Amino acid sequence: MSDSPVSMHNPGNDTPAEAPAAPDAAAQKQMEQAYAQMKRKMAMAEIGKKIKHKIMVLSGKGGVGKSTVSTGLALALAQQGHKVGILDIDITGPNVPKMMGLDGRKLHVEAGRIHPAQGHLGVKVISMAFLLEDEDTPVVWRGPIKLGAIQQFIGDVEWGNLDYLIIDFPPGTSDEPLTVAQSLPDIDGMVIVTTPQDVALLDSRKSISFASSLKVPVLGVVENMSGYTIQGKGTPGSDIEIAAPAGRTLRATCDDEGRFSVTLDIFKEGGGRSTAEEFGVPFLGALPFDPGFVRGGDDGVHRIVSEPEGASATAFSHVVASIQSQLDGASSSSLEII
Amino acid sequence: MAEDVLELRRLERRETDMELTYEDGTVFTVSYDDLRHACPCAKCAPLRNEDDTSMQLRRTVEAHPKQKPLVRTVGNYALSFEWESGCSSGIYRFERIWDLAHRRDPDRGRPYVHGAW
Repeated sequence: MSDSPVSMHNPGNDTPAEAPAAPDAAAQKQMEQAYAQMKRKMAMAEIGKKIKHKIMVLSGKGGVGKSTVSTGLALALAQQGHKVGILDIDITGPNVPKMMGLDGRKLHVEAGRIHPAQGHLGVKVISMAFLLEDEDTPVVWRGPIKLGAIQQFIGDVEWGNLDYLIIDFPPGTSDEPLTVAQSLPDIDGMVIVTTPQDVALLDSRKSISFASSLKVPVLGVVENMSGYTIQGKGTPGSDIEIAAPAGRTLRATCDDEGRFSVTLDIFKEGGGRSTAEEFGVPFLGALPFDPGFVRGGDDGVHRIVSEPEGASATAFSHVVASIQSQLDGASSSSLEII
Repeated sequence: MAEDVLELRRLERRETDMELTYEDGTVFTVSYDDLRHACPCAKCAPLRNEDDTSMQLRRTVEAHPKQKPLVRTVGNYALSFEWESGCSSGIYRFERIWDLAHRRDPDRGRPYVHGAW
């Protein structure tokens, strides 16, 4: 039964028990939609009170590892004992559930409220992927329909009390982040994910300008796939030479136990930091190129879960610490409307 | 060079205008008629392109009953006003409110071109 207050009773119309005329049904539907929209708006306003921190994760370019960073941030925060949720706004290419081991899961709906699925470390997840009949079905929606779905994901979801909500976006600066920035009150800021190559950095600059035009603070830039660390063994005290891209040679010396470690910058070095410095926004840290993320993503066991003390988990905890220091330092200015 | 827009700290809805207090303590008033005439929505904005339609918009706005609007923040960058009658779809960036407070043309003399803003 609908929970709309709109009644089918039509005062003044004495015609007995006939099917309602088509225009009335249309008007009824319109009123119900308007009522649902109003309830959703009120719910969106309430979210601000229940969720302490809301963080948007964006990148200008695709394929830089936004979802990996989003899930990594969420899990690193959950490891600290925080209550965390992830909202996967990538409607046409949702893959957060797979990374969180929630592949094939369906959402639970009760009393008109959507209850998120719970992944590793109790992280709550909402994603379009939960609503697809099968994972090969494409979502082909124009802007206004996407907008409605996003508002529903924000307003109709029963998140409960959260310390952090991480919002994962598709690449670019189009409808999705704009809709969220308009709908969700008091967003703490954006984390811009980039890789060190020029095309990704160029697009990251657009994301930073985009944040500025929406008056959403940029919490900082994360450089993903920053460097691949090669480890090996040789004769103790011996020198090792490794042929790196662009004709460079990397050198290392084996330690007393014969171990060596060299970091190979597969793309370039330090692009994320220099972009952050150029725009005067914080550099949150670099995440190593870790093939374990690919395996973990495919298997649904995130690298942070499978190796909580590993290099990637440590790098994520540094990024999280940088974000938390940004949040602690942020002024809580608000507009008083009387 | 872009002007620094101070942060709006307080908005008091009065009978026919709103009082705006900025972070440095300066106080401005903007009448609801001026606010509605400067509506940036796609219905109202093109009407300001020509003097006669702009005047017509002004007359329409002034004919509306005087009422306090509902005011909501839009993200961190704008305000929206919901009137009991008439347009409620205009999203007023804080820069626009700042221009109105300073009695300046918030369109900066630029004609409205659909899709260009």
